[in-house]
Amino acid sequence: MIKIEGLSKSFGSNAVLHNINLVFEKGKVYGIVGENGSGKTTLFKCITGLEKYTGKISSDFDQLKNHIGFLQTEPYYFSKITGREYIQLLCNARNKQTGNINERNIFELPLNQYASTYSTGMKKKLAITAILMQENDCYIFDEPFNGVDIHSNMIITDIIKKLKGLQKTILISSHIFATLNETCDEIHLLKNGVFLKKVLKYDFSLLEQEMRDFTVGDKIDKLELK
Amino acid sequence: MRNYFVLQYSMANRHLSEFGVNPFLGAGLLVFGFVGLSIVLFTKTEFAAYIYPLIALAIISKLSETGRNDFLKTIFNELGYYRIRIIENCLVALPFIIFLTVKSSSIPILILLLSAFALVFVNFKNQFNFTIPTPFQKHPFEFIVGFRSNLVLIISTWFFTVMSIIFGNFNLGIFSLLLAFLIFLSFYGNPENGFYVWVFSLAPHKFLLRKINTAIFCSTLLCLPITLALSVSFYSNVFIIIGLQALCCLYLATIILAKYSVFPNQMNLPQLILLALSVGFPPLLLVVIPFFYTKSINRLNALLQ
Repeated sequence: MIKIEGLSKSFGSNAVLHNINLVFEKGKVYGIVGENGSGKTTLFKCITGLEKYTGKISSDFDQLKNHIGFLQTEPYYFSKITGREYIQLLCNARNKQTGNINERNIFELPLNQYASTYSTGMKKKLAITAILMQENDCYIFDEPFNGVDIHSNMIITDIIKKLKGLQKTILISSHIFATLNETCDEIHLLKNGVFLKKVLKYDFSLLEQEMRDFTVGDKIDKLELK
Repeated sequence: MRNYFVLQYSMANRHLSEFGVNPFLGAGLLVFGFVGLSIVLFTKTEFAAYIYPLIALAIISKLSETGRNDFLKTIFNELGYYRIRIIENCLVALPFIIFLTVKSSSIPILILLLSAFALVFVNFKNQFNFTIPTPFQKHPFEFIVGFRSNLVLIISTWFFTVMSIIFGNFNLGIFSLLLAFLIFLSFYGNPENGFYVWVFSLAPHKFLLRKINTAIFCSTLLCLPITLALSVSFYSNVFIIIGLQALCCLYLATIILAKYSVFPNQMNLPQLILLALSVGFPPLLLVVIPFFYTKSINRLNALLQ
């Protein structure tokens, strides 16, 4: 379980998150949605401890960060490190054995090739593979479906379902509503650093319609497309 | 096109400012350093006039990187692109040409000018599909990246070792060992992305210890051909070789601590001055190492605890 109490974050005078209060339980998948710049990534970085914040984050673990697998929106890779070495690095960092990497390479990545030469989707799949091999208790997937081909999207969706079955705590941000609809137990709507509402699974379709009406509205007409 | 060069000028100034140097002072130091190193090169070897254009071309070739030039092609038309490439290559070649002119070396000037112009039409890919094998696969990442990025230089250290043995020149052998460690020190010059520190489930002091152990293990492994060859060939100096290697390992540990003492920022002048002073006067390490260690622990606490 991860409990967030009164979390706020500012960059200089720019307040990004305001008094966030949330509880994420084991065996549940939470979707975080919001427009670009609404504070999703900043919230994830606060939970992981990559950003300083005010407020309190507590968990079942003595050090939460050592139990989180964090998939960043744009995973960073060194220029001359292979996919296999990247996995080794992340496993070394958590004192985990890699096991049979070839067998566990379910996205069929060219692991002996430099990771920096991978396509956007392959980079994301490599980062997912590596954090899964770390055998974490909590997972934060920041836009896991972006740039990934449709076949791999299906695999990622099933991975998330499997992790849920293994009683992991999972947070996902995505701009693709259908993927959240399929995987999440709850969706939290973030706007300008404030959580506006929590929506449970049976109301997801209502939320999607509400977001569409609110976000799109009559904006397309204003373009005066001809 | 004028905006492009104004932007380049601003970016250069920002780099100097981030390094902790006033841009005007930095420019002065660069000129001073360039002239000083050029004079040293020309006084030390008779082949300087030919080595000099090669150094210039090595720097100019950095401007031929495909990714950078593909970007330029997307934003400028063909004429604008070639104008920029010609002006950039000439600007880099200019200080070398001025110094060669002072030295009245007309043939190297001609070689440099023609080559700089030819390089305008050449683009190099800095990413190849071929993966250079390393013995460090179980210990990512510094020595893997460093080994692959500096392979030619590392091989050249082994070459110097062989030459020192062939000609019975112990000093050249020591130079090869020092050069190898200088290369290893450069692996720790830049801070990595914060994620690669955060991801470790280690307390700061254990994190530093692991980094230092890995560095000493990998550097010793990479230097083994040099150390063994020199120890066998210059048996009477074996204690000097081992002592020097131990001292180099100490400097390796020091640069790791210096790097994390300002993490996630890049090392700047104060750290470099302390490192330089401790190279000049090794007993200073007794103060410098604990100083960097304490600062590193403070910096790493934010990410690892």
